[in-house]
Amino acid sequence: MGRSLCASLALLSLATAPVARAADAPVPGPVAEPGAGPALVEPSEAESGVPDSTAPANPNDPWEGMNRKIFWFNDQIDVYVLEPTARGWNWVMPQPVQRGISNFFGNLRFPIVFVNDAFQAKPLQALKELGRFAVNTTIGAVGILDPARELGLDQQDEDFGQTLGVWGVPAGPYLVIPVLGASNCRDAGALAVDTAASISPWYLEFFVTAGARIVDVVNTRSRFLREVAEAKEAALDYYTFVRNAYEQRRAALIEDRTSHDDTTPYGVQTDEHLYDVPQ
Amino acid sequence: MSISTTSRSDHRRAGALLATVAAVVLAVAPAHADDPRAVVQHTADQVVAVLKDGALGPDQRKDKVQQIVLDNVDFPTLSKLVLARNWARFSPEQQQQFQHEFESHLSQTYGRRLDSYKNETVDIVGDRQEANGDWTVKSMIRRGGSGSDDISVDYRLRKNAQGQWKIIDFIIEQVSLVANFRAQFQDIVASGGPDRLLKLLHEKTAKGESFQS
Repeated sequence: MGRSLCASLALLSLATAPVARAADAPVPGPVAEPGAGPALVEPSEAESGVPDSTAPANPNDPWEGMNRKIFWFNDQIDVYVLEPTARGWNWVMPQPVQRGISNFFGNLRFPIVFVNDAFQAKPLQALKELGRFAVNTTIGAVGILDPARELGLDQQDEDFGQTLGVWGVPAGPYLVIPVLGASNCRDAGALAVDTAASISPWYLEFFVTAGARIVDVVNTRSRFLREVAEAKEAALDYYTFVRNAYEQRRAALIEDRTSHDDTTPYGVQTDEHLYDVPQ
Repeated sequence: MSISTTSRSDHRRAGALLATVAAVVLAVAPAHADDPRAVVQHTADQVVAVLKDGALGPDQRKDKVQQIVLDNVDFPTLSKLVLARNWARFSPEQQQQFQHEFESHLSQTYGRRLDSYKNETVDIVGDRQEANGDWTVKSMIRRGGSGSDDISVDYRLRKNAQGQWKIIDFIIEQVSLVANFRAQFQDIVASGGPDRLLKLLHEKTAKGESFQS
């Protein structure tokens, strides 16, 4: 997810899930045993300061108790490992270098975007992605630069979770995956397909790919230092903040409302009563 | 005599011209305020002008921006939308208090961001009317570079009782501020009632203030 690197509140789900956009994400474990959900896990209130005992069951989040615990765990990783590392990285690496690295890894997502454009019956978009990959891999110095953008071939954010959404598969319950972060049943399952479609340099040693993955994650996180800090500041309940932002963002991506040109629909809320003034 | 006639007719013509100008100005002024897109453009221009003004200190800058935002945002409506059906659970005093606390919370959180202003500009890239009569104005915050770091911000506007267009929601990268805070506050009010939410908001703001000073 989250190829669109425009700094955004929506992408703050990356705060705890920057890893999710890396290609070789492991198939998440919790999907297999969601039945263990709310009944077995005591609701925890430590993370948010909100007592859960009387908390309403959010229809989209039946496993909230478990999710909050995993979210808290992920946030600890972020606070004590990832964020400090990213801060150091940001201090050392000039902005253009960070952007170049992020362009490079973004370029490697070509097969995922291409395949999912095809799955969603968007031949024109698929062709554009092909052109984009060709231009950026060659003139763009193996993807470090983004000259394709100047030609009107903007980066696209597509993944198999979105494809399933376009096909009408419902998101299913919200799910926080250990280490990877915010997701839902549909998107978590779809990660496996994107992994299969991704460029996996099998001829490279494991530590090379693992190292590249770490660079990708740290670099991505370093580009959202301010946004994440601000979001944590703004949220009264950071867990719900991320859950809601993830839900809204995914819905927008599936409807392709995120393109930055003005021909796409925008501002559409799936909840048509959002703007009804209460009496 | 002929001179005086000419002069009189010149006067009359000038008078007519003045009247026309006045009429045009009067006609245009409300039309300007009547246009949601112009309201957003004007607001953005004002904010950017303040941010670019090197003569202002950080506090002055924050105050000015806050005033501009307050003038163009319908906070009472925004507060109601955020609380949604919980609004009725709040007493009139609690409603007032909520509006006040929520406003401080937002201005504090997002006010901090002003210090890191780096020549961003705002482009209005589209607008459209919504089914219920609201307007959505779409903008891009340009952050330099190739454009890949631009941020999309949509503004939802509604006409208030005075016939002015005011902002009632900010949709940042497709995430609605109203919807997001509503989700957070819903859980808090459901479990702890209005008092719990007011207390949490107040603590958050107080903590932010001590953090800042």
